[in-house]
Amino acid sequence: MSKNFRTFALALFGLAFLAMAPSARADTVQPDELVRRLASEVTNAVRNDPELQNPNSPKIADIVGRLVVPRFDFLRITQFAMGRNWAKATPQEQKEIVEQFSRLLTRTYSNAIASLKELDVEVKSAKANSNANDVTVKTQMIGRPQPVAIDYSLINSAGGWKVYDVTVEGISLIAAYRDEFGSLVSSSGVSGLIDVLKKKNGE
Amino acid sequence: MTFIRQFVLGLTLGLSLAASARADETVPAPYDPLESVNRATFALNDVIDTIIINPLVAVWNGVLPQPVRQGVSNVFDNLDDIYAGLNHVLQGRGSQAGTDFGRVIVNTTAGVGGIFDVGTKLGLKKSYGDFGQTLGVWGFSTGPYVVLPLLGPSTLRETAGRGARIVTDARNLLPTNTYYALAGTEYLATRADAKANEGLIAASSLDRYVFVRNLYWQRRFNLVKEGRNSGAGSTQP
Repeated sequence: MSKNFRTFALALFGLAFLAMAPSARADTVQPDELVRRLASEVTNAVRNDPELQNPNSPKIADIVGRLVVPRFDFLRITQFAMGRNWAKATPQEQKEIVEQFSRLLTRTYSNAIASLKELDVEVKSAKANSNANDVTVKTQMIGRPQPVAIDYSLINSAGGWKVYDVTVEGISLIAAYRDEFGSLVSSSGVSGLIDVLKKKNGE
Repeated sequence: MTFIRQFVLGLTLGLSLAASARADETVPAPYDPLESVNRATFALNDVIDTIIINPLVAVWNGVLPQPVRQGVSNVFDNLDDIYAGLNHVLQGRGSQAGTDFGRVIVNTTAGVGGIFDVGTKLGLKKSYGDFGQTLGVWGFSTGPYVVLPLLGPSTLRETAGRGARIVTDARNLLPTNTYYALAGTEYLATRADAKANEGLIAASSLDRYVFVRNLYWQRRFNLVKEGRNSGAGSTQP
């Protein structure tokens, strides 16, 4: 009896917490403002520090870790990339995939910020997707011969608004990884996927 | 604790279902029944790249300064705009075609034969258009994914579109040597342009074949969707 009650109380508490969460973060920054701030912080940092304009500078990892990484929801990114295979992984495997995948993403895409020296990000609009807590912010990167459309999908959760997908000219990055993850899991299982991720990260 | 476990499981399943629903409503999964042949061609293209194309691109980048390379790309882009305009007409996108032809006129005259992209500076936005896309807008399905030697990712439909362009290209009227010199230059300029992205893809992908296939598939799907949504018969502008 007492065990059942404890389970019930715990579940109730969990639900209550979920229900309360939105009001607790009502005062956070709006997603379009967040993207605008993020872009200007990073471009300013790159313009003010010649070292960051070198794509091979070790300082890039610092700034990405400080300004960019906290604004990405790597758990959700990994869940989207895994799709229905997410449920096939054990909690331990899930943890490992999130860790390795976020390392791969930050490591390989960080160097691109060096090019922000001559580029500007212009926030065009924000549009709610399925609900008010899931928003796509449309931006344009200008400074190249042709502007590049980059859309950020953000979700509002306990830690505020966080990015869970980046779409470049209509091409979703996470959708591309979904295909890769799916093909690797079906050929060599979840553990095979983890092995490939680790190998790619040089472990 | 079964209840909790079920609750968590339900939450995870719910999320994963939401994830699949989200992807399905956008782009269908790539159709690749010829995967083993395609992978072989993909590997062959890598070999050709390593021994022929990459050294040529290095020479190209080394000999020509960036503004010159940009100028060469612009000249070919200007020719592409004519072709894009024709296809936008075929897709029933009159105002888009107007912009394309406007670009061609401005860039050919003020832009000195297309070397400078004056059109973009005047607010005439470049837009992509080809005959494979037109076929898609007309309702032809993509068909299987194919990897072409040297040219890379394609589908049956885009290959047909590409063939139609080669046959109808005004450059066919040029002497054979000039034709091939132009085609070679265009190919090299395009590949040199794409090299930076190719490096990023190689570094960030787990199975490059699958990654590239997906990027290409999404791109083609979006082009056809864009063509359909902005065509004459659509409610959207």
